[in-house]
Amino acid sequence: MDTYVILRRSGWRSGEELGEAAARSTTVGEEMPDDVRWIRSYVLEEGNGVGTVCIYQASSPEAIRAHAAAADLPVDEIVRVADTVIVRPDPLPATAAS
Amino acid sequence: MVELLEREQLLAQLDALRGEGGRLVFVGGEAGVGKTALVRAFAQGAGGVLRGSCENLAAPTPLGPFLDVGLEPAEPRTIAAAALARGGVLVLEDVHWADGASLDVLRVLGRRIDGSDAFVVATYRDDEVTGDHPLRVVLGELASAPGVVRIAVPRLSLDAVRALAEPLGADANAIHRLTLGNAFFVTEILAAGGVDLPETIRDAVLARVALLDEAARRLIEVIAVIPLRAELWLLEHVVPLELDRLDICLESGVIRADRDGVAFRHELARLAVESSLAPHRRRALHEAILDALADRGDLSRLAYHAEEAGNVEAVLRHAPEAGKAASAASSHREAAVQYARALRFADACPSDERADLLDRYAEEALLTGLYEESVEARLSALALHRAVNDRLRVGVTLSRLTNAFTRLGRNQEAEEASRESIEILESLPPGRDLAWAYAVQAYARMLSRDNDEGVAWGRKAVVAAATVGDREVEAYGLNMAGTSLMMAGRIEEGVLELERSLAIAGEAGHEVFTMSALNMLGTGLGEMMALEAAERYLRQCIDFAEAHELWPVYPRAWLALVHVYRGRWDDGASLAGQVMRGAHDPISRISALIALGRVRARRGDPGAFDALDEALELSVPGGHLQRLGHVHSARAEAAWLTGDADRTVEEALGAYQLALEKRHLWYAGELAYWQWRAGALEEAPAWIAEPYQLQLEGDAERAAAAWRAHGCPYEAARTLADAGDEAALVELERLGARPLAAHLRRSLGLRGPRDATRGNPAGLTPRELEVLALVADGMQNRQIAERLVLSTRTVDHHVSSVLRKLGAKTRVEAASRFREISVADGANMGSPADVAAPARP
Repeated sequence: MDTYVILRRSGWRSGEELGEAAARSTTVGEEMPDDVRWIRSYVLEEGNGVGTVCIYQASSPEAIRAHAAAADLPVDEIVRVADTVIVRPDPLPATAAS
Repeated sequence: MVELLEREQLLAQLDALRGEGGRLVFVGGEAGVGKTALVRAFAQGAGGVLRGSCENLAAPTPLGPFLDVGLEPAEPRTIAAAALARGGVLVLEDVHWADGASLDVLRVLGRRIDGSDAFVVATYRDDEVTGDHPLRVVLGELASAPGVVRIAVPRLSLDAVRALAEPLGADANAIHRLTLGNAFFVTEILAAGGVDLPETIRDAVLARVALLDEAARRLIEVIAVIPLRAELWLLEHVVPLELDRLDICLESGVIRADRDGVAFRHELARLAVESSLAPHRRRALHEAILDALADRGDLSRLAYHAEEAGNVEAVLRHAPEAGKAASAASSHREAAVQYARALRFADACPSDERADLLDRYAEEALLTGLYEESVEARLSALALHRAVNDRLRVGVTLSRLTNAFTRLGRNQEAEEASRESIEILESLPPGRDLAWAYAVQAYARMLSRDNDEGVAWGRKAVVAAATVGDREVEAYGLNMAGTSLMMAGRIEEGVLELERSLAIAGEAGHEVFTMSALNMLGTGLGEMMALEAAERYLRQCIDFAEAHELWPVYPRAWLALVHVYRGRWDDGASLAGQVMRGAHDPISRISALIALGRVRARRGDPGAFDALDEALELSVPGGHLQRLGHVHSARAEAAWLTGDADRTVEEALGAYQLALEKRHLWYAGELAYWQWRAGALEEAPAWIAEPYQLQLEGDAERAAAAWRAHGCPYEAARTLADAGDEAALVELERLGARPLAAHLRRSLGLRGPRDATRGNPAGLTPRELEVLALVADGMQNRQIAERLVLSTRTVDHHVSSVLRKLGAKTRVEAASRFREISVADGANMGSPADVAAPARP
């Protein structure tokens, strides 16, 4: 499996909607453990709602799209991660992921 | 006897699966890990169980395990049907050793078992099923079959080894370290006792055998050279004096009773003992067994023992017959092994016998993909035929050689062989062989896209075949002629010839040629971008193949491409992914990789060149236009979409000359287009495909219309985008064609993509709207999930969200709100059926 960055810009109107999406994402992800593994996400302030930058491991970009379709998540862009460079640990999240 | 440790969960799993009804369970694990013990424990609980085993032979008896359980030899699908009808539990052991026909039965079982009463458990050594092992292909094909399950048996933990070792006062840690928890190894060591630990399984087994007296050991040695099991009557013949030792051997646990004979507890043990025998003793034992079997043994066994005994006369008596029987049962790998075996012993044979063996071997080798070996054998046979000036055989052999050369991409040699074969056969009285030779030449021409010649030779084959009343070759000739006509752009004529081929093949009940005609119709029309017709034929081909248990990989790969060109990128990528998982033949993989590559490039997803690099690699050896032209077109597109104009031109030039030479309307058209788009081409030939022709002439509107007429929404949008037409954006965004949409927006000075949620009533997302439409139609969540290909839980989430957003307390309320919204939004909404169309399989 390769690691990918997924951009979901302005995907939801509110944090609540995003929360529901996260629940769907987890549920569907559990049904395809060999195809996608959700690693982490950063929630983006978009002015008129929120978006995310998600890090996933996946068997292919198509697996990411299949997961997104089944969980009703938008996919703007998928980029493959060549390498990970951690300089400092993440600051604590403002809200815990569900 | 050893208690089963750490297998409760697996047994529970097997019991649960049994309760589900029709299942084929593959139980995998390394040799000696305990698969058989597990399955036997399960079988005890399951009541009446039938057990068939596969033999560890290079060429086992075709359908061996199924004959073991009393099924009559027949076509694989007939046997599978019989097994399914019988119901009950069937255990098949060591299917990694299964012959070709048995594997075919497994395929059918896997596809049809769901919903039946039968429960099949097949054990196999998963660590040996790698690379191009035939079982691996079968497992790949059955990966998505509903009734098929795979479970793995793990090694024993240290705790388990301790539980076994401590009562005997043995050193559990040392044993576990040595055996790594391999159950068989552990029990062998414990049975042998002693202080020093043997270093290998072989040493452990031999240590155990060493505990027996001399007479018992002699008996064990005989049993060790008989694969699978040694019948009592056989042992009575070979070692009458040692037979009284049988009980002691059984008690020792080295061997166990098995139906009408005895066998080693494990193949590993048998091999250990067999390998410890001195060569001359082993040969003598095989000779004695061969003698005892006389004409009672089956051909595979006789041929095996004959070779091991070094008995030339016996090998030549049995191996060729075994080969013929295997070939008749469609176990072609096994047939090839038998003929090769005979050839090893055939030095002193008269040359016509040797030539016959070489010809038969070459045929089986060709069928199993051993092209190099096939060519070598044919060439040897050819030399023998020439030596006695048997012109007919020379002609026929040359004709068959052509095929093998073609598969290997040795086109020059294929050409020479074909020409000579025709020359010779034309000088003899006309017959089937001449018609075949014409058809083979037509095939070579068709493959090379020498279309005019393909048509000519195909028609010659038809005439010659009709002269001798050979319907098979007639169908084949029509197939070749029709395909070449299509590739020359004379589509309607080509379809007519292929339909005639189809009809004749159908009348003659010839499944392979029926499928071939449907395949050529589907893939040929696909290559000529007649996509709607292509799709119809491809689906027909796939349905036919599945109904007749043929394996339709290539038409599926092409269907994936058709999906992509018709704008159904999800379907195309998904089907291509499936093909990649199950297919090993390069041609199918190339097509699937092109489909994946195009989709990724058009979406701007990573991995486009990963797929297209592999596709190119696979295409180069054959040198055929239909791969290279296609691959380079896709690569030029991918290069363009990453913004590299130079690379675009480079990729296009990779096959442009070839496409021009062969006058391929579509490849020449696309490759010319990419060069033109990158500013490196002024003019292209007038005969290129219409949409490209129109676009290069400057008529974007009509070009886009032409693309739409072919059913290609992306290419139509691209044409408009190339002309700077903002109208293309809607379609590009709908398709998810990010790079092209971004490029167009930039060139028009526009900002970001439009927001899909904003336009929708009540703030519902498009997906929520779809779900609401179906709720309004009265569907339950489970039905909605099926219709939209989602999980039920996801649908539950959506329904809650919809109710909340609409402020509705019940589904009925939501339904009436939906109707309000529909009316308000007028034409946008359509009916529920429009909003949520059924998903395509």
